[in-house]
Amino acid sequence: MVWQKKDKFSYEIFLAKHKVILVFFMFLFLSLSLRLFYLQIINGSKYKNISEYQKIHNTKECAKRGVIYSADGQILAESKNSYAVLYYPCPGNQKPSEQILLELSKILQKEIKPSNSLFSKYGRKVMVLVENLTLNEVFKIQEKKFKLKGITITKASKRLYHFSKETSHVIGYISQIQANEMKHLSGAGYKLGDYIGRGGIEQYYDEYLQGKDGGWQIEVNSKGDKVRMIKYVPPETGNSIYSTIDLKLQYCAYNALKNSDTGKGAVVVLDVKSGNVKALVSCPGFDSNKVLNNRICEYIKDGKLPLFNRALQALYPPGSTFKFVTFAAAMDLLDINPYETIDCKGKFELGDRIYVCYHKTAHGRLNLISAMAVSCNVYFYNLGLKLGIRNLEVYTRKFLFGQKTGIDLPNEKQGFIPTPEWKKSKFKVPWLQGDTLIFAIGQGAICVTPLQMAHIMATIAKRGFICKPYVVDKIVDLNGNEIYKHENSQIKDRIELSNRTWEFLHKSLLEVVENGTARRCKIPGIKISGKTGTAQNPHKKDHSWFISYAPSDNPEIAVAVIVEHGGSGGLNAVPIAKRIYETYFGISASSVLD
Amino acid sequence: MVQEKNLLERLISSIDVWLVLAVFMLISISFFAIYSASFAYGLSFRYIFVQAVAVGIGLVCFLFLTSFNYQYYKHFSKVVYILSLMLLAAVLVFGSFKRGTKGWFDFGFISFQPVEITKIMFVLVLSAFLDIRVKMSKTLPFLISVFAILMGHLILIMMQPDFSSTLSYFPVTLVLLFVVGANPFYLFCIVVFGGLVVGIPLLDTFVNLQLKFIQDGTFFAKLAIFLKNDKNVICIIFSILVFIIGIWRFLWKLKIEIPIVYPVILCLAISLGSLASIPVEKSLKDYQRKRLIVFLNPNVDPKGAGYNIIQSKIAIGSGKILGKGFKKGTQTQLGFLPEQHTDFIFSVIGEEGGWLVSQATIIIYFIFIWRALVIAKESRDRYGSLIAIGIATMFAFYVVINIGMVMGMMPVTGMPLPLLSYGGSSILSSLCAIGVLCSINMRRYMYY
Repeated sequence: MVWQKKDKFSYEIFLAKHKVILVFFMFLFLSLSLRLFYLQIINGSKYKNISEYQKIHNTKECAKRGVIYSADGQILAESKNSYAVLYYPCPGNQKPSEQILLELSKILQKEIKPSNSLFSKYGRKVMVLVENLTLNEVFKIQEKKFKLKGITITKASKRLYHFSKETSHVIGYISQIQANEMKHLSGAGYKLGDYIGRGGIEQYYDEYLQGKDGGWQIEVNSKGDKVRMIKYVPPETGNSIYSTIDLKLQYCAYNALKNSDTGKGAVVVLDVKSGNVKALVSCPGFDSNKVLNNRICEYIKDGKLPLFNRALQALYPPGSTFKFVTFAAAMDLLDINPYETIDCKGKFELGDRIYVCYHKTAHGRLNLISAMAVSCNVYFYNLGLKLGIRNLEVYTRKFLFGQKTGIDLPNEKQGFIPTPEWKKSKFKVPWLQGDTLIFAIGQGAICVTPLQMAHIMATIAKRGFICKPYVVDKIVDLNGNEIYKHENSQIKDRIELSNRTWEFLHKSLLEVVENGTARRCKIPGIKISGKTGTAQNPHKKDHSWFISYAPSDNPEIAVAVIVEHGGSGGLNAVPIAKRIYETYFGISASSVLD
Repeated sequence: MVQEKNLLERLISSIDVWLVLAVFMLISISFFAIYSASFAYGLSFRYIFVQAVAVGIGLVCFLFLTSFNYQYYKHFSKVVYILSLMLLAAVLVFGSFKRGTKGWFDFGFISFQPVEITKIMFVLVLSAFLDIRVKMSKTLPFLISVFAILMGHLILIMMQPDFSSTLSYFPVTLVLLFVVGANPFYLFCIVVFGGLVVGIPLLDTFVNLQLKFIQDGTFFAKLAIFLKNDKNVICIIFSILVFIIGIWRFLWKLKIEIPIVYPVILCLAISLGSLASIPVEKSLKDYQRKRLIVFLNPNVDPKGAGYNIIQSKIAIGSGKILGKGFKKGTQTQLGFLPEQHTDFIFSVIGEEGGWLVSQATIIIYFIFIWRALVIAKESRDRYGSLIAIGIATMFAFYVVINIGMVMGMMPVTGMPLPLLSYGGSSILSSLCAIGVLCSINMRRYMYY
């Protein structure tokens, strides 16, 4: 150490500066250490999560939805694998290059129009180049993959409905879950963009049909290339549903309704013994395959309301079909002689108002049974007045009006029974005898669904034993195990009427077809019982009702038909029922399914 | 004269154990880190081999430079300077391109970057120059001649062009000037000048980048839009100049009489710096400017300039206390980290070794710097002190800039971490520098 001693003064200055430099470096290294501490100790967990997250890539593989079969084992709805070519937009390359499109169209021999898919069908916002490819086309694309940089092929399952128009309402359709529905669905394990059943069996049995989505979990490197597979969960196909729908009857009923005057209405065919639904038609139907392809809008705009399930949701006044209630109540309570006659002059005067028979022509002298057969309003006005609204209301409830049938389909309406209390609170006017009169013939505010009418008819056919209607017989999982089987609940409930009443009621219903308003329905060799009705519609033409069951002595099926704006019941609804019976009993070959 | 036997004894007895230990530990860490970082490429053994050869050559140089008396550099400082200029000029003629810069001599299996060794030579030359002219250190001509020496190197390096290598020259020059007693005011003016030259283009880039991400109507948005206008910036600079003169006048009135030279030189530095920023703004490429500034908010360009910083921060942070284990870092092994065996080697250490190892690495570096400064203090002449301080500054600067960069505190400049990063030239020059340090250290008690 020479200079320190030689030049002590300048060495001291040097030492001071040396100290400054040392402190400065200490400060720099201290801040490095603090930053390190901040990153690794304070925020370590956060960064650990990010590093875990960015190395794992989840690919969803959607589960196939279950199959829906008809009663005779035909496939009504199934899911097929379909393949789609996607393009992931990336910074700088928001659109696939012309070369890719050209090459693709050369392979597939059709023009490619890229569509920006706005919904996240494939997991995120992607551009769908082609959809619904067959496996063969996929192989062809894979061969040329080196020329088609940046495209991805994904497997998706596509719902396919056979007989889509005929069975549209009973089967329903599927569509994606929208953001605003997530609130009440997220708890059930649904995710945004999943497909969910809408309407019909698809909705009611969605949890059985869904299956479980599987997927791949892959460790990827920074370029997104696969390094190794962490796990693969195969998707579980949804369960198969065996419905009770008789395709022949369904087909026949749909076509008969479609070809009726207005083409609007509903038919419900129930098996009397078990309560299963053999056919459930609402017309006009819709093509569920089209709905899948996002063409639901054209149905929403349609004034005929094809998406509206009339069989379950439309409410009509029962009209004259209601007369069996008045009939039964009168037989039970008034102890009247059914052969006692009343003279129908075509009108009924109550106070200063005149209530007329439907045809405005006098029926002449009628007993109870013939009054039922020709649907004489005057006779039933008399009965209604004698019974009074209270008794009528009790019997209306007894005959299951105003309550849901409990069918395993969604959005069933329960109908409505007007009461004096209801009128008082709603209109602030008391119940008048005139209200009782029109109630007795099923007009006014009372309303029912076609399904309810079929259910009530089936119950009458069984002498009052109530049997819940259902459309799904059993559900079978992929391995063939039965995981659900419909069981007829112990028949506890019964419509209690005296035996005499039942006999006369059945007799009169048979008479309606044999000699009454439903004569057009007569089929040689088969006895049919039923009741026509004309539901008054203040706005347009009346609705045409026909409810019936056959064969009369040993009932098998019950049919309810309504033709909207079909006019008189005997005219439009009866022939439809006749065609259904013909198909069911195998009489006419004309309506058998090809 | 000293006998050969004595020299060997002295070499072993008076070597700085702490320094050598720190270097040894850093080199060991570097082998592990490079092995792990290049494992994913499947090139581990190649890289380890090249690094080992470089360390071997470096150790030979180290031993040679240790035994070589550093005082000869002072006598031959002109030769050393000319040699360094020739090296830099030769690389411009005979060098080969690597990553866009013509800065490499290619010898087939190993290539050499002369700028790494000329840095050390510059320290030797500058120290000699300062030591000889220490008496006139307060004058302006002295300063100008120092910067003339500096410019000789800088111009040749900028011609490669290698922007990041030039950066290390400035802190060394400034610190050495400070030590020999240059007027701190002049140094301050130089810093202001340099800051403006680089700062204005970077600020402009940052404002442009940030504009896309801040909402309209907020204070920052208004500020950014205000700064976008060139006229406004000129107004701001002009008002600062007026303000400085005003302060000077005010102090003059208060009888604090500062010579007029000072405010004039400061104003000159500001205006010249602002002016000089225009050609710098034009010459710096857009991506370079983005890279330099994006550390302030890497999320403005997460896939581009910000990617490296984001991934590096994730790598270091995810190591937590104990790390993910050797060869088990997902960021490293799956290729999320950029340049992981060279510039971002510290991220590998942080991820796989965790806080314990990375903090230890920082501490070892500090021990190294501290020993270098101790050597400076104990040196037998001022020349040795200056060299030691210059080398310490250079190492500290590299370490702080590199580790700061991988932790998202500093701009991404592409500077290696001395002794840790893969790279033969870097390790060779580091070991040479350490050799010079040891040479100074061993001769502290020598009288002849």
